[in-house]
Amino acid sequence: MAKILMKGNEAIGEGAVRAGCRYFFGYPITPQSELPHYLAKRLPEVGGVYLQSESETGAINMVYGAAGAGARVMTSSSGPGISLMQEGISYLAGAELPCVIVNMIRGGPGLGNIAPAQSDYFQATKGGGHGDYRVIVLAPASVQEIIDLMRVAFDLADRYRNPVMVAGDGILGQMMEPVELGEEEEIQIPPRPWAATGRMGGEKKLINSLYIVPEELEQHNLKLARKYALITEREQRWEEYRLGGAKLVLVAFGTAARICKAVVDRCREEGLAVGLIRPITLWPFPQKAFEPVIEEAERFLVVEMNLGQMVEDVRLTVNGRRPVHFYGRCGGMLPVAADVVREVKKLYGGEGQ
Amino acid sequence: MGTGIRRITIFTGHLGSGKTELAINFALSLKERGLPTSLIDLDVVNPYFRTRLVREKLEQLGLTVICPRGEWMRADLPALPPAIRGVLEDPGRYGVFDVGGDEVGATVLGRFKPLLPAKDYHLWFVVNACRPFTRDKEGIINMLESIEKACRLKVTGLVSNTNLGAATGWQTIVAGHRVVQDAARVLNLPVVMAAARGDLAEELRAHLPPGLPVLPLNLFMQTPWQDF
Repeated sequence: MAKILMKGNEAIGEGAVRAGCRYFFGYPITPQSELPHYLAKRLPEVGGVYLQSESETGAINMVYGAAGAGARVMTSSSGPGISLMQEGISYLAGAELPCVIVNMIRGGPGLGNIAPAQSDYFQATKGGGHGDYRVIVLAPASVQEIIDLMRVAFDLADRYRNPVMVAGDGILGQMMEPVELGEEEEIQIPPRPWAATGRMGGEKKLINSLYIVPEELEQHNLKLARKYALITEREQRWEEYRLGGAKLVLVAFGTAARICKAVVDRCREEGLAVGLIRPITLWPFPQKAFEPVIEEAERFLVVEMNLGQMVEDVRLTVNGRRPVHFYGRCGGMLPVAADVVREVKKLYGGEGQ
Repeated sequence: MGTGIRRITIFTGHLGSGKTELAINFALSLKERGLPTSLIDLDVVNPYFRTRLVREKLEQLGLTVICPRGEWMRADLPALPPAIRGVLEDPGRYGVFDVGGDEVGATVLGRFKPLLPAKDYHLWFVVNACRPFTRDKEGIINMLESIEKACRLKVTGLVSNTNLGAATGWQTIVAGHRVVQDAARVLNLPVVMAAARGDLAEELRAHLPPGLPVLPLNLFMQTPWQDF
């Protein structure tokens, strides 16, 4: 099968179609608009439904409806649109509905700008909406990985009956890379006995997140907590890059991790023992990745396209055992490879603290 | 080049077909011939990886770059500077237009239809046969027709620009060129040139039909991990 050249945003669309998603509801916003454009063309080819909603609030509630009826469904947006969706995401988590939500992050807060950023990490991983809930968050770092992770996203959503967010940024959405799509598989969506598809003489099926009696809501919350604990135990994903003997370990996700990979290569060429941990799941945060390296590592440097969000999770994981430094750019500015190399050299060997 | 240099050359095509790199390199090739050349960023579709981001570099190389200035440069707005009209009306100036992708991008071009110098412009359609929706003859023809409809102008030639980014080999381009030729035959249009990263140009000339000009590309759009 020949390779093709795809934009990240297109790959999200193609990856979703190949994962069996047949319903997309969304509203255009830069820098992810190529995704709805792609699906507007592609979904009708496979008998699916593409619908541009009147707003992001509309889109997320359409997702709620389709997921409640048992469909594999997706929406996408960027920063401001994802903020508008938060009520719906909380409802989806409360009603335990599987779905995929894509956020191609742009500069914020507020209207911010349309340049790439990673400043929605807190929103994605720590809630964003109300209530005691979690959303599984996946952070691809290449166009090929997007294709592969879309399948994972829909499968995890089904396995745990939970919303899954795919978090990218403008660069990842807009850049083009060759991808191997492989053969298109016939996807068997797991049965959904809970879906509101008609009673058919059986029990009543109700999709709801309303528990008026506090005892019942507490039980529901505890049940969700057990599910989140299970996800945390089983689903941590990360990539290790040249960690052998690393004295300084970079930690970065998505586009920042691509930059850091190039930095690791450059530093290794110059004889500096530098490696990279790239979280693929932002929630659950891959704490397991840190234990094997913490003995040898003298320090960690977290690089993000924000003012320091994931660094808090790294600090919780490292728990004071090693210094955890931070370097970031924000507002749509990028920490280019040369800047990160300079930062590494400042810290390496214990100088510049 | 191909069917000869004309005062205005417009690059249009599918989103991500390579128009921006082509327009930049083609404009530089005109400038090297000593022609006063302006490069016009008409891309109001996609705010990433467009000409205006490398404006300073191109101006140092002697090109005049026409795009929104100041804070408007990075805005997600369909703003068109008045200087575009200046290029179209100045008989002594050569203009290279980098149009936004697909029919949405081409719509903007329609606005300049009455100002194009009769018989003194090319409207070239760039094809990358490794892109979704333009991988075969039918896809290419569909895309070309929707662009023609949007800009209300007729394409005058195809540019063979098949590539897989950094993973491109000359074989990729040669295989893609066959698809482009098939489409060109049906459309009754010439393939005016092929383009390829500079290091592939020599090998390509040996494998493409003789007489087909190959424009070597010096790539300007960079990812932040290439930036040391």
